[in-house]
Amino acid sequence: MANYYDELFKLCGFEDEEIEKERLRVEKTLVRLGIGPDDMQTADSWVRQNHDVTLKGVRKLLGAWLKELIDLVLARDEGKKIVYYGFPAILGPGLMLSASSEDVFVSAPDMVLNHTMGQIFNKLIPILEAGEANGLPPGHALCSLWQAKIGGIAKGMIPVPHLALASSYYCDMGSKADDLVTALYGVPVAYIDGVMDSKWGEYPEYRPERVHYLGAQINQALKKAEKVLDIEIVPDAWERSQEDSRPFRDNLVRLVELMRADPVPVSIAELELMEALSASSTGRGIREGIKAMEILIDELEERVKEGIGVSEKGSPRVMLRAGHTSDPRVTRLVEETGLAVPLTFILGSWGGIRVTPKGNYNTPGEIIADYEMAGGYYYGTDAQIQFYEKAAELMKLDGFIATYLYNCRPVATISHPQKNYLEEKTGLPVLSLEIDGFDSRAYSAASLRTKVETFAEMLKAKKASVRA
Amino acid sequence: MKALEKLDSHLKNRLTDLNKAKEQGRKIIGYPAGGYLPEELVLACDAIPICFIRAGGNDVLKDAMAYICRWFDPFWRSQIGYLTSGKDPYYTIADLIVIPITDNHVRVFSNTAGYYTPEIKSFVFGVPHVKDEISLAYYLQGISRLKKKLEEFTGVELTESRLKQSIELCNRERELLREISLMRKSDNFVVDSKDFVALNNGSFLADKEVMVEILESFIEELKEAVPLPKDGPRILLTGSTLAQGDSKVMDIIEATGGVVVMEEFAEGIRPYWGKVKLEGDLMYNLAESYFMERVCPGWFRPGTERLDFLIKLARDYNAAGLIWYQLMYRESYKVESYFFPDILKKETGLPMLTVESEYDAMETGPMKTRIETFIEIIRR
Repeated sequence: MANYYDELFKLCGFEDEEIEKERLRVEKTLVRLGIGPDDMQTADSWVRQNHDVTLKGVRKLLGAWLKELIDLVLARDEGKKIVYYGFPAILGPGLMLSASSEDVFVSAPDMVLNHTMGQIFNKLIPILEAGEANGLPPGHALCSLWQAKIGGIAKGMIPVPHLALASSYYCDMGSKADDLVTALYGVPVAYIDGVMDSKWGEYPEYRPERVHYLGAQINQALKKAEKVLDIEIVPDAWERSQEDSRPFRDNLVRLVELMRADPVPVSIAELELMEALSASSTGRGIREGIKAMEILIDELEERVKEGIGVSEKGSPRVMLRAGHTSDPRVTRLVEETGLAVPLTFILGSWGGIRVTPKGNYNTPGEIIADYEMAGGYYYGTDAQIQFYEKAAELMKLDGFIATYLYNCRPVATISHPQKNYLEEKTGLPVLSLEIDGFDSRAYSAASLRTKVETFAEMLKAKKASVRA
Repeated sequence: MKALEKLDSHLKNRLTDLNKAKEQGRKIIGYPAGGYLPEELVLACDAIPICFIRAGGNDVLKDAMAYICRWFDPFWRSQIGYLTSGKDPYYTIADLIVIPITDNHVRVFSNTAGYYTPEIKSFVFGVPHVKDEISLAYYLQGISRLKKKLEEFTGVELTESRLKQSIELCNRERELLREISLMRKSDNFVVDSKDFVALNNGSFLADKEVMVEILESFIEELKEAVPLPKDGPRILLTGSTLAQGDSKVMDIIEATGGVVVMEEFAEGIRPYWGKVKLEGDLMYNLAESYFMERVCPGWFRPGTERLDFLIKLARDYNAAGLIWYQLMYRESYKVESYFFPDILKKETGLPMLTVESEYDAMETGPMKTRIETFIEIIRR
């Protein structure tokens, strides 16, 4: 029997039979999240306003997020052993845990809340406020993703995990917030520590000690996970996790190729749904995400063939560091000013630019660490900026909108050098833009519009003068 | 006190002395606060360690804004300001800057040094955030790389005997600081904590042998000193950083009738509780003492060791309250400041007050009101 949420779920790519099959779980989830019939109209118009629902692939991506949300909210009820990891994450350990036992649920719950309670239901703010009231107050540039995670737990929307995998290799705030979760809820933490101590300019070289250390920390965390969760990590967990996620990576490469088209065939706000999913789910979300990507790629291939795009042909092309995770209006703002956005950092680093890992390592931890050092994101600031530089050539860019997150120290480190470096190395103009990538209350699309519009006009004028 | 006058006079002439030493071919090794650079290695290469611990003023933060956004700890933005503006002569006199990277606030300083001031020679090594055998090994390889770098840079072979001598000297300095600090356990203590902080801060800049003499003289002088008034509540002061020049919080506590009996800080206060062993592998001993045995700062995870230590200090020093001096945007400390008051209350019954600073004159009034109220509540 149809219910009040059916239309919204269909809008988000659910098939009729899927809704019927999941009905009890959906209803239980919505009750726990405090979502009722009155919220449907808002959600429907919010989704239509922010996403291109004419694309089935986009609808399916939204559906993949909803499925991840349901699995997350009900994980404890359904007897799962729950592991939360900090975002951004070195995914290997989480993927290995997932590959080792069907009883384990590994996820980045803050990202799930952002993409569902934010992007679908537009009800993230009360969760953020609950996070602020429970140890992460406003006004201190604390991470809004963590506010969502703590807020979601405090409000009883998402379960208390059995184990936290702390991203101690990257983020001081996240690891310390894991201590907060321990203090508030008694959750054990497996710290995966690393030290970003390469000297500026050394990348792509990296010392083997960094691989050994991070690798040993990963191995140690996996051992702790085995003990806490009472599971055994299967010998081929690493290979299996790679096998499972390979289609995602392959699809990213195909997408990067499609995004080279002029006009750009899809908004970066849609691709953000996919990029973030890859870093947030190790279970059903990612499996469904892969299927959604395949549909989306087919649709975009058609668009490219027909010359259909979301920006005018010949629009100035800029790289945006990443899309907004809870409020796509911030992402769309860039395209609304007449700029084409063919690439984000994540698309570029996963799908476009390749740095080969260096060594022959044997343990899963070291293999993962070697890959991550080569990948650059967890290497250090200069590696991140070098990816931007390479993107200019890859995507024939006309400029960069180099956003940085004011409340994320590892990212805020690039606030000034990225502009200087990229302007010097590429000769292209760079707009350095301070944002909060997870919470749009203080950094809304409206507040950023003037800066972006001015930059867009400048790029358009420059491009026009070159043509003339 | 004469010892303090001597320190003052020594520091006034310090830059001149350093310039003379440079002319004679000695190298000046600058390093930022945090306590993870074993000065013994520098001294054993006949070089001079100078720690950058100056901060507290707002002007230099404006200089830093050309290089980094606002959302970093003002102490580290101050260091960026001093590094790039040349306003702190200790930065300009250093031949090599060694940066032990702890958290992202230090990393941004390292990035600035690497990218914006490539003309200044720098060397970085990392300090892990957890304590175990793997992280100890990582720290040890970091300081071993440093040893090699210092040998190359100074042209002096860092022999076992030279290292042993420098460890003995540094142990002596730590021992003396500890002795002075411990005097404050007593109800009739004679050490003004502002004097202790001045000595401790000064030890980062002074010639090591001169500093040891000053500390010895100071202790001698204390034997004749009159106990300080003991009517004010005894305060344990903690936070990430107590820079040289950042006296606001201590001034206010004093002005409102409180008495600081102990300060626990990761940066700006030299760790003095430990002693480096002189037997066996000296490099390992340095790593063990500086990394494993030292009570960890707040950006270690978990931070329980430090929080337990604060409880111990509160008991040992018979504190009546704890003031948590929070520098803005140092997130590790901010998060701990939320859940620690309950732990402190449960373990000791003591209240805690958090005051925040971004080195802004505007904050003085509200800070004074809050501390005054806190002291008043404790008195009752």
